Order: sequence, then C-alpha cells, then structure tokens
Amino acid sequence: MNDTAVIHEDTSARWFIYTAVTFFLVTILIGILMATRFVFPEFLGGIAAISNGRIRPIHTNGVLFGWLLAANMGLAYFVVPRLCGTKLFSEKLGLATLGLWVVIILGAVVTLASGDTQAKEYLELDTTLDILVTIAWVMFSVNMFVTIARRSKERQQMYVSLWYLMGTLIWTAVLWIVGNLPVYSGVNDANVNWWFGHNAVGLIFTPMGLAMAYYYIPKSTGNPLYSHKLSIVGFWTIAFLYIWNGAHHIIFGPIPTWLQTVAILFSISLLIPVWTAVSNFYGTLRGKWTQGNYVVKFLVAGTTFYLLTCFQGPMHSLRTVNQIVSKTDWIIGHAHMALFGAFSFFAMAGIYYTLPRILKRPMYSDRLGEWHFWLSFVGFLGFAVSLWIGGFVQGLQWMNYTISFLDTVKAMYPYYLVRLLSAVIMIAAQLLFAFNILKTARGGAQLKPAMV
Amino acid sequence: MKFEAKAFLLVIGVVAFMFLGTYFTMIVPLTDPALYTPTKDAKPYTTLEAKGKKIYEREGCVYCHTQQVRNLLEETQRYGMGEEETFKRFGIRTLIQAPPSQPGEYVYDQPHLLGTRRVGPDLARVGGKYDNTWHLNHFRDPRSTSPGSLMPAYTWLYDKAGQPTGEAVALVAYIQKLGTNYRWREEGVEQARALQSKRAPAVPAQQAVPPTTTQEGAQ
Repeated sequence: MNDTAVIHEDTSARWFIYTAVTFFLVTILIGILMATRFVFPEFLGGIAAISNGRIRPIHTNGVLFGWLLAANMGLAYFVVPRLCGTKLFSEKLGLATLGLWVVIILGAVVTLASGDTQAKEYLELDTTLDILVTIAWVMFSVNMFVTIARRSKERQQMYVSLWYLMGTLIWTAVLWIVGNLPVYSGVNDANVNWWFGHNAVGLIFTPMGLAMAYYYIPKSTGNPLYSHKLSIVGFWTIAFLYIWNGAHHIIFGPIPTWLQTVAILFSISLLIPVWTAVSNFYGTLRGKWTQGNYVVKFLVAGTTFYLLTCFQGPMHSLRTVNQIVSKTDWIIGHAHMALFGAFSFFAMAGIYYTLPRILKRPMYSDRLGEWHFWLSFVGFLGFAVSLWIGGFVQGLQWMNYTISFLDTVKAMYPYYLVRLLSAVIMIAAQLLFAFNILKTARGGAQLKPAMV
Repeated sequence: MKFEAKAFLLVIGVVAFMFLGTYFTMIVPLTDPALYTPTKDAKPYTTLEAKGKKIYEREGCVYCHTQQVRNLLEETQRYGMGEEETFKRFGIRTLIQAPPSQPGEYVYDQPHLLGTRRVGPDLARVGGKYDNTWHLNHFRDPRSTSPGSLMPAYTWLYDKAGQPTGEAVALVAYIQKLGTNYRWREEGVEQARALQSKRAPAVPAQQAVPPTTTQEGAQ
C-alpha cells in the first residue's frame, strides 16, 4: 500500500470534497429547521416550499447524495489511483462528473421544494434527475473501472477497498435503475421501495464507507490490516446477505408472512459481515486508540457506531422488538447512527487524512479538528439517545389504545427539545469542519504545528 | 485464479448474489396474485380523490403518517371505532376493531404511501372517522381540532378569506376514501348489532350493555 512514484493530480478528489462539505452544511441546516418544528410547530410556517413535508426529502437526499456519496466519491478519486499504482484514468471526466452532480443536487432542491416528487422514500427525485444520476454514475464507474484495469504489475492483487468499491459501482447502478422503474403498484411498490431503501444503505453507503475505512484505518495508524481472511468473509457475506432484507421495514404490515420471516432471518445473519469487518477494524486499530489524533478518533468512533447500529438493525427486525420501535422516532436515531455516526465519521477521517496530502500542507488547525470530533460525538449521542428513549416510550404507549395518540405526541416534547439542542451542537461541529477545510484550502499559516 | 486478481470474477459473483436475493424477495412477490388482486370492495380513485392523493404526495404527508394498520391487537383497537364513537353514531357501546390492512386494498396505489413513521397517527382507516368540516379545519389550523399536534398548517390550500380551495376539497375527498376498500365500519356495526340482538332481543340497543361494564376514554 505504499505510494509509488506516480504523480497524482487529485483535482477531482479535491473539488468533490469541497462540494460535498458545502452541501453537507446546507442539508444539515435544513435538518435543524425540521427539528425546530418538532418543538415549535408554527416556526416559519405558512410557506409551502419550506414546510416539513417538502424539506424532509431535501434533507435526506441532500445528506445522502449531496454530502456522503459525493464525499466518498471524492475520496475514491484519491484512494483508487494509489491502490492501483497508476494515475486516475481521467481528471477531466472526474470534473465533468462533479459538474453534473452539482446540477443534480441543485435540481433536486428546486424540484423537491416545489413539490415535484415521486413520493417514495429515497426515490423522490423526478425522472429527469433519475436519468442524470444514472449518467453521472456511469461516468464515475468508467473512471474507476478503467483506472483499476490499468493497475500496475505489482498491484495485480487488488486490495479489499477496491472490491468494495467495485461492488458499490454495480450495486448502486442496479438498485437505482430497478428501484426507479415506474411499473410497480400497491404493496409490491412498497416492497420494491424497501428493496431499494434498505440496500441504498446496505449496498451503497455501507460498502463505500467500509472501502474507505479499510484504506484509512491502516494508513492513519500505520498498522497492517489485521486479517485478509476476515475481509474476504465480510465482503462476500455482505454481497450475499444484504439484498434479502428489504421486507423487514414492513413487518406486521400487508405483505406475506413468509417474506417478513425471510427478511428477519437474513437480518440476523447480517451480524456475520458486520462483526467480521468490525473485528478487522479493531484489530487493525489496536494500540492506537490513545494516540491523540482526531483522524484515528473518528475511525475508532465510526467503527464503534457501525458495530452498534448494525446490532440495533438485526434486533429491530425481531417481531417482539419491531412491535415497539417500528414507526417511532427510535428509528430516526438508528438511521443517524449509521449515516452520521459511522459512515460520515469514516468520510470525515478520510477527508482529514486526504486533504493535507493533496494540498501538500497540514490542516489549518488540529485543535479545531479535535473540537470537531468531540462536538460531533457528544452532539450525536444527545441526538440519538433522546430519540431512542423517547421513541421507545412512545412505542410502549401506542401499545395501550386507551392512551390517545395526541397524548403520546405531547409526551415526546422533552425528547424533541433535547434532540434539537443536540442537533445545534452537531451543526456547530460541522461549521468548524468546514472552516478548517476552507482555511487549509486557501493556504497561509497554520494555527499550530501539525500533528498529522 | 482468485477474485482478488481478476475483477471480472468479482463482478460476476456480485451480480449473481444480487440476482438471487432479488429473485426471491422481489420477483416472486411481484408474481403473487394475492398481492395484486383487489379486495371485494376496492374501487379505483375518482378524479377528485386522485387529485387529493397527488396533493398528499406533494406535501410529503407520507413522512409523518403511515397507511397500514399492522397485524397487532393494539393497532386494530387504536385505529378502530371506539366505544364512544359507536355509541354516539350507532347506539351500541362497543369497540369495533379495525381490520389489519390487506394487500388487496392497495392495488390502485401508484405510488404506494405505506409510510414508515408516525409523527401523526396512521391513516389507513381514517375515512369516515371525522366529517369533512373537521378535516378542512384541521388542515388550516391543526391545533384548533387537535391540541398538541405537530402538523404544519396548510394555509396555502386556502384562499385569502380562509375558504378552502379546490385542492383542500380534493385532499379531504382522498382522506375520506382511505380504508373504504374494505367496508369494515358497516360490517362491524352489522355484526355488533346481530350479536346484541342475539344476546338480548327485547332490550333497546342503547341499553343493551350496562354502562358499569364499559371503558371510557377510547380514542
């Protein structure tokens, strides 16, 4: 995994990262506007384009595609050429992909705010944007596959990050195209929606995030990868097991019982790929937990949140647990642990590792990096724990029909308040992140001598 | 020849596994008649109801309201007709449970609106629960009808004088349609009446069940 003498331009990587961080700030501000309305329902009311029902898909799609996927694509433009010992196939194609990606995200904001939606969770974008996403993904895939095909003689044996990346290229394309076909109706439409929705996390963001973790954990700790065999088991079990799980989003719902049971069985077996990957990460991180470096902190915390969120997931699928937590705000906490706590933390670690190497100068401030980590960590815990407690309590209240629904809503007030305050901390942290990147990008003196 | 050195082996493996899971969990249900045969009472949406459904989609109602009574006792109770309601409307003090949602009720839904989260209550059986005026007031000012509600006020569905536009009317029509692909309210009342007349044929309906044995406060 040593960098060879190849000179990398990294233009695509750099600009993808800057763009992703910009979209991140915007979409989490939309998130906090929603969270505010859970405490003050009339806040900025009466404007259709920014009502909660319209901005919710902007928040989810924006964070997923505008921030996390774009950030991971940016990191892939950095990682893949290095793992292949060759230059990126085409920086021009990379920048064109970025341009198209920006058009897609801005288009998504405008169309969703105006109420132009396909009304299916994570498949909201209208048909034109769907086609543009497909084109952008093909452009990205061509860049990646050709770079991999041109890998140097010494790199014929591909590293695990490349397996996950190639898997993601295929999974994303198939999920996106099949999920968006306008041919389903009724409960089958719901089933396909969750075939897509579950695997958007399981087969797009999980493998992309793991690809990055498999690269940045050994790189930033200086430890060799703990086990090659575990990574093989982890990869192929993800490839086999994840796709069966969609129906666990509709347990007790109007779909066949056998389909629910199959989804539950496969959900439990997801512990295999998760625990193999996590063992591998912890094994690689051993001895480096207290190194005092925020890049490693993000990776340790990300690994731990990945372990926890993927323990929750299989447990949620069990009928007795599902009965209580499904449809409550517990699930919102769970989703944020996966996408913020785990995969965004991996991406942030990747950005902190990558940017100084692209720009050939250290981060502007390591102290800001430390603050970014701790505020993200504490803010996220407040956010998730309040929703877990509140959601669980509400789920139990729903089990007694003599408690009116409105009373169960009123009981959520203190939890929504803590969630809002925690979200403010989370956003403050990301402002530090963006500021640090901006100052690093613009050059000039650092605040303190670098640790990286 | 190992997959670590041969990208095409990896690609073939990934595609094969993906097809396997997709076949069993997506293609098999797509060919299951039980999932696309309409229920006995199911009717396609009228033009007005279809317009209302579009507004429901446009405003993102699905993010806070599910449309599925899950196959759980507490949900059939909560989303059924409570004792107060049946007494007031039909003179029988009894809880009529809402039947769990059936696949055949959804066949005309494209896109589906099953939803995943309940910031507000489930709406699969809401049709017929309230009158149109209640809904029109509720959309304009949710907290006037439901104190403590977190729902946005949909003021843009009303004109300057506060009168509902065609969009508000269409939305109400759609809401009133929900759950009527199964005549559970009518059938439930008929069954309750039949049961009652069997038990105590001589007593007037209102007094059939002594008030002391009833439970108050069902919503």
